[in-house]
Amino acid sequence: MSADSAFYFTAGLITLFSLLVVTVPNLLHAALALIASFFVTAAFYLMCSMEFVALAQIMVYIGGVVILMVITILLTAQLGAKNLFPKTMGQRIWGFMACSALGASMFAAISRVEGGIVGKGIPATGSGDLETLGRRLLESDADGFLVPFELISILLLTALLGAVVVARKGQRINK
Amino acid sequence: MTLQNCIYLSTILFCIGIYGVLTRRNLIGILLSIEIILNAANINFIAFSHFSASDAAAGSIFPIFVMAVSASEMAVALAIIISLYRQSNNLDSRLLRSLHG
Repeated sequence: MSADSAFYFTAGLITLFSLLVVTVPNLLHAALALIASFFVTAAFYLMCSMEFVALAQIMVYIGGVVILMVITILLTAQLGAKNLFPKTMGQRIWGFMACSALGASMFAAISRVEGGIVGKGIPATGSGDLETLGRRLLESDADGFLVPFELISILLLTALLGAVVVARKGQRINK
Repeated sequence: MTLQNCIYLSTILFCIGIYGVLTRRNLIGILLSIEIILNAANINFIAFSHFSASDAAAGSIFPIFVMAVSASEMAVALAIIISLYRQSNNLDSRLLRSLHG
């Protein structure tokens, strides 16, 4: 399979699974479709020779975030109840019109670029390997990303503490 | 597989996510749609770093930051959802009006 047909196959699968996420009525099925969409996106990252990002996508998104959402869905949604939140037709029509107008304008803007958006010709290779990434992530000179890395660490810690505080038992928000 | 096709792909994904945010009524469904939007942004980062960046390592570091931010966002949002469900036993975004003023 050539690179082009592989790209179209991957892109079609990502689009299909994402459409399933926003259209299926059962939320558990939507979460499973989201997992499939993330797997195919990881395959796309591999095609772009970004191995570390692909693995991080699988481990962080699929192993962490979506599993957390699945657990929350199982805790909250009454899965047996049919048509818990029926979508109104007007909402669908308005949503479809809004997002298709947005998409059409973005497509028009992209395709108006002279000669198309092209890169520098030669795709970058060998840049996603683990050693380069790790060094760049922890270097403190002008090339490094040490400060954003530490900021992200503080953000994660704060968010997890805040999540524990908000979800604690016996708390009432608006008494 | 060109840069322009990758940008079209991420535009389509972004619009799908916007559609989901506008039409879903369950709060968790809205969060799932937001994940699709973040995925589209990551695809854009990766495509630009693969095709046109002189410094391609920076392009693969940014999606890692996006993942960390989205993980913390999901933690806080799901905590809020659990707390809301414990209070009012429903997650319909049309019926949650306690912040309406």
